[in-house]
Amino acid sequence: MTLSVSTAAVRADRLSRRYGATRALDQVDLTLDRGITGLLGPNGAGKTTLLSILATVNEPDAGQVGVFGLDPRQAADRVDIRRRLGYLPQELGYHRHFTVAGFLDYVAILKEITDRRRRAAEVTRVLAAIGLEDRARTRIRALSGGMRQRLGIAQALLGQPELLILDEPTAGLDPEQRLRFRELLSSLPADPVIVLSTHQADDIAAICPKVIVLLQGRVRFAGTPAELASTADGQVWAADQRDARAHLSWRGGDNRWRHVGERPPAGAEMVAPTVEDGYLLLSHAAGER
Amino acid sequence: MSGTKGATFLGLAKAEASLLTRSALVLAGLPAGALVIWFFNRSGMPLWWEASWLLGGGQLILGMAVLAAAQLATWRARRNAMADLYASFPATAATRTLAHLAGLLGAVPASLLLAGAATALVQARGAVGAPSIPVLADGLLLVIAAGAAGVAIGTVFPHPLAGVLGALALLLSSEWSHMVSGAAIWLSPWETGQDQLAGLPGPLVGYPPVGPHALELAGLAVLAGVVALAVTVRRLRAWGALTAAGVIAVAAICFAGALQLRPIPAAGLDRLVSEVADPASVQSCTTAANQVSYCLYPGFGSLLPSLEAPVSAVLAHLPAGGARGARGARPTTPLTVSQVVLLSAPDPNLTYGHPAREVSGWDARLERAPGNLSATPGSAIYLPVGNWPAGGGQLADAQFSLAVATAEWAVHLPGTSDTRTTTGGFLQCVPLDQAREAIAIWLAILATHPPTAELRGGLGNSAGFTGSVVRGTFVPGWNYPGTDGGYVTPPGGGAVTTAAGYLLASAMTSLPEQQVSHVLAGAWSRWLNWRTTDAQLAAALGIRMPSSPTPPPGPINGPQNPLCT
Repeated sequence: MTLSVSTAAVRADRLSRRYGATRALDQVDLTLDRGITGLLGPNGAGKTTLLSILATVNEPDAGQVGVFGLDPRQAADRVDIRRRLGYLPQELGYHRHFTVAGFLDYVAILKEITDRRRRAAEVTRVLAAIGLEDRARTRIRALSGGMRQRLGIAQALLGQPELLILDEPTAGLDPEQRLRFRELLSSLPADPVIVLSTHQADDIAAICPKVIVLLQGRVRFAGTPAELASTADGQVWAADQRDARAHLSWRGGDNRWRHVGERPPAGAEMVAPTVEDGYLLLSHAAGER
Repeated sequence: MSGTKGATFLGLAKAEASLLTRSALVLAGLPAGALVIWFFNRSGMPLWWEASWLLGGGQLILGMAVLAAAQLATWRARRNAMADLYASFPATAATRTLAHLAGLLGAVPASLLLAGAATALVQARGAVGAPSIPVLADGLLLVIAAGAAGVAIGTVFPHPLAGVLGALALLLSSEWSHMVSGAAIWLSPWETGQDQLAGLPGPLVGYPPVGPHALELAGLAVLAGVVALAVTVRRLRAWGALTAAGVIAVAAICFAGALQLRPIPAAGLDRLVSEVADPASVQSCTTAANQVSYCLYPGFGSLLPSLEAPVSAVLAHLPAGGARGARGARPTTPLTVSQVVLLSAPDPNLTYGHPAREVSGWDARLERAPGNLSATPGSAIYLPVGNWPAGGGQLADAQFSLAVATAEWAVHLPGTSDTRTTTGGFLQCVPLDQAREAIAIWLAILATHPPTAELRGGLGNSAGFTGSVVRGTFVPGWNYPGTDGGYVTPPGGGAVTTAAGYLLASAMTSLPEQQVSHVLAGAWSRWLNWRTTDAQLAAALGIRMPSSPTPPPGPINGPQNPLCT
């Protein structure tokens, strides 16, 4: 499935990647334009592999990637891509003995921000963006898990990258921080290409104009969140009792059962589907659950 | 390297240098290195031609810390699960490795601080000579080379123990010099303690081989850098440059090794042998007011006060007047206290690589050197170069040794006998039951006032009992403070000191000095006669003869010592 337009900022053609006998990616085609794209998928679906290939960290076994018209297989192009990239890996460790500002300054050098004053300004900017200004001199080992995650986001924002790849950026953030994160991404200048993977369907619904669902190494859906939700039209219903015909059922805050399934009973009280409902049905159809 | 890459490299190098400078390991390496330098220099009078090299022992410890710190820094990204993030940066792994290597300059302040502080400390202790800047620079190079090795280990072996093992290997590589001799000792990164530097009367040209060793260390640093970069560099052209640099580094190391294995220049050794065999040709002799001559090698003049003090004090306590008139009990033969160098040929550290005939010639000349036992005259006290302490308790011991030697000269106690050992040396004689021995010890105690406990400690105990065998009888000995220090050669002027002699001298110190002096001055010639016994002296002083320790039961083994006559 392709969102193909020839002018796409990022495109992947028939990407495949195996780890031993495990097929992490299987002929993935996709295109990404400026704006935020959410990547949904269960653990092991290939999200992290896909993002690491887009970030030029990994190489596919087959297929090719183009980023801003550059080919990461070429050394010079690869470096050019990295100059325009901000990347937050899924499980990022930290140099715990560094201070927050010291770490960001070090990363800024690695991102070739060599002018000291510009580097200092960048560090100040991203610290303010993620709300850690008052922790600049704190050692990273003294930060909470949520603060470290924000620091990871901050380092990705250094240099105002044109391509921002965030692998589960909201993991470990409390609700308020997640809201601030949404605000941050929505207000980034210069309209970069942003792709973020998450398990939080409501994050996708809230800030992503586009969503891609990756299941078992394949793209199963690409479209808007509304389109993803609409794939569940007529397959979500409410009832006072649990319905065995549903694939998934849970009792809501109103003490009524919400059912997601392909065959609602006749006369059922249909409910407007959400992104999560659409995703759940896709997962079920792909045999994930 | 493009402008951006160059600026990135410089920025990273600065950051790494700053991190290394503030590294806890490096900061811990400073006091550890200082401790080692103190340990190496704690006792003897520091001689700069040796001390400059010993300072490198501290740099070795700092180098170990820098090695471990550099290994951890190089491995930082992988250690902290940030390899993926680092791989997404435009700064390549090769640039980062190069920055780690350049960042080793961050260890320079610590190395300079250590060298500077140690130099000031050694100088403050009255070091003889002048510090050798090239040797001190070699120490700095050692630290940099160790750091480069750390970077190489960090790239090749990303394991928490790799740096520690690397540091230990560096230490062991320096300790292996104990297992080799000759010029091979200089092939280790830093040799510690196998050279003859401490016993030399001055610097010896070409020894240690400072320039070639600097070349070896620089070659090792470059080679380590090449290994580190080889792991990270991808481009073919860079590989070519690395290969060339590696070949040059290996060639430089081999060339430096060959230079270090060369014999010490014969002219320098010849001059050294002359200075040792005929000290008068270079020594300056000062005759003090008490008519004692002190002959010292150039630069050692600062020793004079610490030598004069015990000698003058002993002479001042000699019984005055009496049968010898104005000179009192003082011998008519003049006393000379002079420095000697204990050197023989062939010497594995000095004469290697020279033809046997040349070495034999040096040996023949050295046999006539005043430090040689066979040539010890009764009117000379010899002080081996490098053994005299700079201060503290060891100086007190050394001064007591010198006081004993002076007092033995004053009571005509010979140091050696005419009996030769199987190896050709002369056996020390034993003043068995001779009053003059107790008088000599009494004079030395009065002159320097060593702590009584320290004196009594020399009598031995159940754990150990020293002594000698004279005419088939075991004679319990007395190891006075400084006996084993080698401050005076032969020890105490030569005679073996007995427990009985010390015990009587100790009893004499309980009497007023004037009373003892009166008794001694009244019959000085009699007391100096080797046949006058301890018991006779005790009776003249009106004290009971102290009982000697009981010798251990069992068969008596060992060589027979002659009686002092």
